[in-house]
Amino acid sequence: MHLKHLSLTNFRNFARLDIDLPRRVILLVGNNAQGKTSILEAIYFLASFTSFQTNTDRQMVNFVEAKNSLAVARLVADYQRGRRNHHLEARLILEPTGTNGQRLRKEVLLDGVKKQMNDVIGHFNAVIFVPQMSAIIEDGPDGRRRYLNLALAQAVPAYASVWSDYNQALSQRNALLKALNESAALSLSKGGGSGDQLEVWDEALARLGAQIIQWRIEAVQQIERLAARVHHELTHGREVLRLNYQPAYDPLPPLSMKLTTDTDRSALKADDIRKGFLTRLKEIRSEEIARGVTTIGPHRDELRFLANGIDLGDYGSRGQIRTTLLALKLAEVNWMKERTGEWPVILLDEVMAELDLQRRADLLKYVGESEQVLFTATNEHMFAPEFVEKSEVWKVEDGTVKKD
Amino acid sequence: MLLPEPIQKLINAFERLPGIGPKSASRLAFYLLRAPEDVAQDLSEALNGLKDKIAFCEECFNITEAGHPRCEVCENPKRDSAVICVVEEALDVLALERVGAYNGKYHVLHGVLSPIEGVGPDDIKIKPLIERVARGGVKEIILATNPSMEGDATALYLQQQLRPHKIQVTRLARGLPVGGDLEYADQNTLLRALSGRQEMS
Repeated sequence: MHLKHLSLTNFRNFARLDIDLPRRVILLVGNNAQGKTSILEAIYFLASFTSFQTNTDRQMVNFVEAKNSLAVARLVADYQRGRRNHHLEARLILEPTGTNGQRLRKEVLLDGVKKQMNDVIGHFNAVIFVPQMSAIIEDGPDGRRRYLNLALAQAVPAYASVWSDYNQALSQRNALLKALNESAALSLSKGGGSGDQLEVWDEALARLGAQIIQWRIEAVQQIERLAARVHHELTHGREVLRLNYQPAYDPLPPLSMKLTTDTDRSALKADDIRKGFLTRLKEIRSEEIARGVTTIGPHRDELRFLANGIDLGDYGSRGQIRTTLLALKLAEVNWMKERTGEWPVILLDEVMAELDLQRRADLLKYVGESEQVLFTATNEHMFAPEFVEKSEVWKVEDGTVKKD
Repeated sequence: MLLPEPIQKLINAFERLPGIGPKSASRLAFYLLRAPEDVAQDLSEALNGLKDKIAFCEECFNITEAGHPRCEVCENPKRDSAVICVVEEALDVLALERVGAYNGKYHVLHGVLSPIEGVGPDDIKIKPLIERVARGGVKEIILATNPSMEGDATALYLQQQLRPHKIQVTRLARGLPVGGDLEYADQNTLLRALSGRQEMS
């Protein structure tokens, strides 16, 4: 993957930005709050159509522009995938609704044709690393599910649309559970008819959920293999990293759920997962009606990170978490290359400051194999002189980019 | 300036229609204001006639002219009453009729199951369908609800409800459109087409 040209209009603090990007390492250097991270965010947006930060999609529209009743931010990328050139445009449109509300709408055009976002995700690939991402490991399971979803959506073409279908089935089922719960409380009707209706949503939930679970099992296993290798080198063989996927509906029989065993779910087929999921939903039906909400399924999955058997979310030191995250992201790069045959564009925000010299060298060695890498740093002395020599150094200042 | 009440009322009425926003609504209202008398007259007559002169078939709930208890299809003795095709809307009947290849009867549900919108089995014409089947004489039910999540769920629900009646229940095939290009098919369609592939004989 080679991003050749990036054009931003009203994106964050860039009123307008047009840059040609070479196929090599690019260092974006500048003081804080000049727009370095925003460039990475923009590139990542074109891969995932969401910000790497949660819930801030509307803030990506330039704040001066956003004061207009109709505000538009535009991101355009020209890139080469395989041997073909593509043109991808994303628009973030803030439009007025009602009396004084604003609604964010996103539009995506691939090669000039308007498309569904779910169909375009993964056409342009990028992997991003920002220091705030340690929240993936430390904070709640939401962030980890989001991480899995964003990675999978880029690498598995149908993932995004199956995931949104799953959520639609989930909302329908939850609405029904809630209605059943309320009518049970009023003792209006029970048994027979209502259960039959639940069954059809169970069916949809299990079919879509099983597919998601199977994809996640496969992905976590592959990423774990790659991440463990990188992590092993980064820690000089002192730590062994494990990714422990804990599906809320676990297709494995509970007997094998001992904490220390190697839980291998890789042999499971989507259809077997579906059947098991369906059976489990039937078993807990009355409990779910009582709670009025769907309690199992991929929307409640968990993923834990363990170093030498110790849960990093609970007991990891800052350094351990940083190393793990780096290993995870580098693994994601290789995983995407394995799955799609293309190197994703690698986006690394302020990573150098956090690493010791040895790890800096390790990192540069890893990313050196890929096609295009963007680093941000407050100054270029973070990098070895011979590395700077081989790279393109750009100064980012107050929403403009200058070649050094 | 406030709009005179009759205009505002008309705009509001238009706005309640599907696919019409505030702009189109006012454009339509002002067009009618300026247009010759007979345009508005024709429209109002057509609208008045809609509810008075249209009724639903007692058997299949397809639309029919008032005064006829049963629709054209149900009245037609040449149609095979052993096969019933279940559709969401009366428009779907029209689409299937245009094909001319179907010789059975219909059943219009007038909606699909959607708990979010509060639509349950009792809110659409499911019970009358079961009753029709229970009266006997039906050999096959073709479920032709849309291939959406709600359409699929409704089809599945019907299949369950029909199970005790021991009749053949089929679902319209899904997959690639005829004359369509494989490369332009969206992922979901392709995924379904792949899982629903058939052996060539």
